[in-house]
Amino acid sequence: MTDTQIRVLGTSDNERTASDLPTPRRSRSRYPRRPSWVRPFLKHLLLLGTGLLMLYPVLWLVVSSLRPTDEIFRNPGLVIGSFEISNYTDGWTTLSHPFSMFLLNSTLVVLGCIVGNLVSCSMAAYAFARLKFSGKKWWFVIMLTTIMLPIHVIIVPQYILFSQLGWVNTFIPLILPKVLATDAFFVFLMVQFIRGIPRELDEAARLDGCGHPRIFAQVILPLMTPALATTAIFTFIWTWNDFFSQLLYLTKPEMYTVPLALRAFMDATSSTSWGPLFAMSVVSLIPIFLIFLFGQRFLIAGISTTGGK
Amino acid sequence: MTGKRHARKAIGLVAIASAAVLALSACAGGGATSGPAALSDEPVTLRFTWWGNDVRTANTEAVIAAFEAEHPNITIEPQYADWNGYWDKLATETAANDSPDIIQMDEKYISTYGGRGALLDLNDTGDLLDLSDFSKSSLDLGTAEGALYGIPVGLTTYAVMVNPTVLESAGVTLPDDKSWTWDDLEKAGAAVSAAGAGNVFGVQSWGFEEGGLNNWARQHDDALYNDAGDVVIKADTLTSWWEYMLELSESGVSPAASATTERQNAGLAESFLATNSAGFATGWASQLTALQDASGSPLELLQIPTSADAASDSAYFKPSMYWSVSARTAHPAEAAVFLDYLVNSEEAATLLGTDRGVPANDAIRSYLEPTLPESGKSVVAFLDSLTDVVGEAPPLTPAGGSAIEAIVKRYTEQVLFKQATPAEAAQGFIRDLKAAIAAG
Amino acid sequence: MAGLASDYDMSALGELRTLGQKKIAGGSKEKKENKAAYLFLLPWFLGLSVITGGPMLASLYLSLTKYNLLQPPEFIGLGNFARMLTDERLHNSLGVTFTYVFVSVPIQLAMGLALAVLLNRGLRGLSFYRSVFYLPSLLGSSVAIAVLWKQVFGTNGLMNDFLGLFGIAGHGWISDPATALSTLITLNVWTFGAPMIIFLAGLRQVPAMYLEAAKVDGASRWQTFVKITLPLLSPIIFFNLVLQIIHAFQSFTQAFIISGGNGGPADSTLFYTLYLYNRGFANFDMGYASAMAWFLLVIIGVFTAINFWASKYWVFYDD
Repeated sequence: MTDTQIRVLGTSDNERTASDLPTPRRSRSRYPRRPSWVRPFLKHLLLLGTGLLMLYPVLWLVVSSLRPTDEIFRNPGLVIGSFEISNYTDGWTTLSHPFSMFLLNSTLVVLGCIVGNLVSCSMAAYAFARLKFSGKKWWFVIMLTTIMLPIHVIIVPQYILFSQLGWVNTFIPLILPKVLATDAFFVFLMVQFIRGIPRELDEAARLDGCGHPRIFAQVILPLMTPALATTAIFTFIWTWNDFFSQLLYLTKPEMYTVPLALRAFMDATSSTSWGPLFAMSVVSLIPIFLIFLFGQRFLIAGISTTGGK
Repeated sequence: MTGKRHARKAIGLVAIASAAVLALSACAGGGATSGPAALSDEPVTLRFTWWGNDVRTANTEAVIAAFEAEHPNITIEPQYADWNGYWDKLATETAANDSPDIIQMDEKYISTYGGRGALLDLNDTGDLLDLSDFSKSSLDLGTAEGALYGIPVGLTTYAVMVNPTVLESAGVTLPDDKSWTWDDLEKAGAAVSAAGAGNVFGVQSWGFEEGGLNNWARQHDDALYNDAGDVVIKADTLTSWWEYMLELSESGVSPAASATTERQNAGLAESFLATNSAGFATGWASQLTALQDASGSPLELLQIPTSADAASDSAYFKPSMYWSVSARTAHPAEAAVFLDYLVNSEEAATLLGTDRGVPANDAIRSYLEPTLPESGKSVVAFLDSLTDVVGEAPPLTPAGGSAIEAIVKRYTEQVLFKQATPAEAAQGFIRDLKAAIAAG
Repeated sequence: MAGLASDYDMSALGELRTLGQKKIAGGSKEKKENKAAYLFLLPWFLGLSVITGGPMLASLYLSLTKYNLLQPPEFIGLGNFARMLTDERLHNSLGVTFTYVFVSVPIQLAMGLALAVLLNRGLRGLSFYRSVFYLPSLLGSSVAIAVLWKQVFGTNGLMNDFLGLFGIAGHGWISDPATALSTLITLNVWTFGAPMIIFLAGLRQVPAMYLEAAKVDGASRWQTFVKITLPLLSPIIFFNLVLQIIHAFQSFTQAFIISGGNGGPADSTLFYTLYLYNRGFANFDMGYASAMAWFLLVIIGVFTAINFWASKYWVFYDD
């Protein structure tokens, strides 16, 4: 993991030049009162300090994944005596299927959910943000209401529904809800973003004779890249970490996803294999971390780069 | 907006909702099977579920493979989860009439599932399942209202675990557990704490599950439940239990409350005993191996202390877990054959070891004993030494009583943190447990 | 349901005002775009009617029953709601939840916004910093978080090491009822990455021209931030506020993992949903859990309605 960390550092530095090009010069030249390096230096100091503090648990996780299980809780702190790779090799192979299978399953679920959310939520959001239709306010209220009820009382009726459709132990119960825009969080998020896009832009397109599908696809969607990226990143992470619904709907071990596999190292009634658990936690963090590093490029590709109105 | 469209939508929603509700009711109800079922020659698939860690998963899957080799037409589909997730999933599946065929069951839940028609009466499986190597008393542990809802997998008992190394360095001699009392434990613990200078304590606090409470109640001629499943424990019994615990905590024999809670939440491997920072701890004998692995030093089992006027026969055997079969299984005969293999086959016993406790099957226990590691042998020897002392097992946890562990834990925390006096905790405990059983 | 609808009335009116009063540049048309709208909403309608609506109504029905998951539900009218009135643990869990919502949401949002502004542009290594500050959010609901958090707030954790430097004796912050909730609030603040990301994305929507213009006019950084950035960002701030409040009221996973599922020590971290879950699943009291869930829905609904009502005074839409 230390290797990865360093590599990650490298990538992000390269990426910076690309992402921050649009507004390179202004911030320093405007304020000549102090030497030009003081402000950035202080900022770096502050950011590095807080960042390190915030990362302590993460670093501890990485370090502990390299310790033998019985040493993990005997020596606290970040100083590492041994460099135990066996947690990684054990963790990868000790469950009934290699860990790569769980990673693959999680990836499939995640991809399905991302595509589903991007398509269906952006469509619904366009309707709520831009179209006039009957009962709009009530539908909006209903949409928000659907995320106000705790999942624990919905999950049993929902399970019965999917079970009667014969969909238990498939990925359908995990992906279909996203394809059908049940994640009101993202609909609302996109509504807010679309409402931030100047209306003159779609009016211009309308005057050019574009219908709603084309305005949506050719004007709105490109302008809401940050919101789409946010949705994709969040969907990725939430689905990647989601435990409860995956626990209920996936029964065969060959269908298990990462969160289920990680819990397979635990047993509250006897002992937990912390070493392999930490090692595989680190492994499962790498994809989301990389996705984020890569994804932020889209997150910050806002309309400011095109100049707005 | 037309009202009509609203109405149509609403009707649609109501229709779907009522379908879901109908499904809720359709799936419940009594078991459908009757009489011994016949084996099929057709391919049969059984779903088998358990909770546990990766070690258990590996050895259970090995047993499945061995069984499938012997019975080519039966496929066993494994399904495993951690303890919490396991019960959530099982409840949901049972609600949807979709539960696995073979279920690893716990004492706290067996009446809940069995009494509500979710489990098969294993007496009905005829001679496909041979239980002749089980003592009647151990089968009684899985019986409620005459129906055998689960076969005990392993046996365990509540005991004191001691770290002789810690005692030795504190200059404390190992007490004689045939005659010792709670006062002896406190004195020995105080000596260890005194020598430990704040790093090593005499007695690890307990009171986070019902085992210790059950034992205490039995010593005081009391019991948590009567045979009808009502809560009958007296407030005085509970009060004295918590008073003793509080005394240990206040006098420094046990660690401070916050340290206790922290270690308790962290699990076995981080307990004071497992980290060589306590001389004594109470717990289930079956946990000895896990604790010993974590601590890296040998541990020993002692009988629970008594008080001078204690009732005899207060110790009891508890099943570590059960094998149960879903009442709605389509293949009760094949399920019985698989259970028969799990509990009677020497091959299975070799593969499973004592991961699920010392086997309750007498023949298998003697078969397995010579092959066990030292810690396993001492657990078997300890259980054997108790055979003459143990009394009849307490009544099973009644339906809805699975909340007891959380209730005990909560009031113990309140007592240790001095948010409630032992007497208040006793009142609250009885009230909450009664409410839980009435509601569940 | 009727009472519920009227709770929303205010917010709906506010919504209507902001949505409905917009003048469209090409001349105002009152023509509805029903067909297009319903087409765009088709997936959502399907999802609502099957996947969310049905189970929600089912749970509403279950709230009027005694339902132990294993046997058919038994209709008992408002019995569950009556029991809620005298349930002390429920009242305690409401207290815990309200404290959590009103302390952690403002801090988390303020942190998220501050860091988003700081990490928006004009500094080297930004994407590295963004990742660093986002990393905790990835771990926030991992099974390992219980152990990790103990490395910070446990008896042998970082916090006590730090206090030790000043000679202050520490204690187990997570395992003491007096401080356990604060550690969970800190945990939530620690995962400010999620709102930060949304703020970052929102900041990118602020047209650079406005900022340029403000600079040309000689506005200070702070003035630019308050007069230009904040108003333009207000829809996103509003979104984060509404959603973080909804999420915080339903907060479950972190308390579940850290307290081992029961909201301890001594109920000090017993969040409302954690209690609800324990009633429903651990205690097979799903009817009561459903009643609790619908009560929570009303509470969240009221707060959301207030939020929407207040939004017309401070949220600025460009459309």
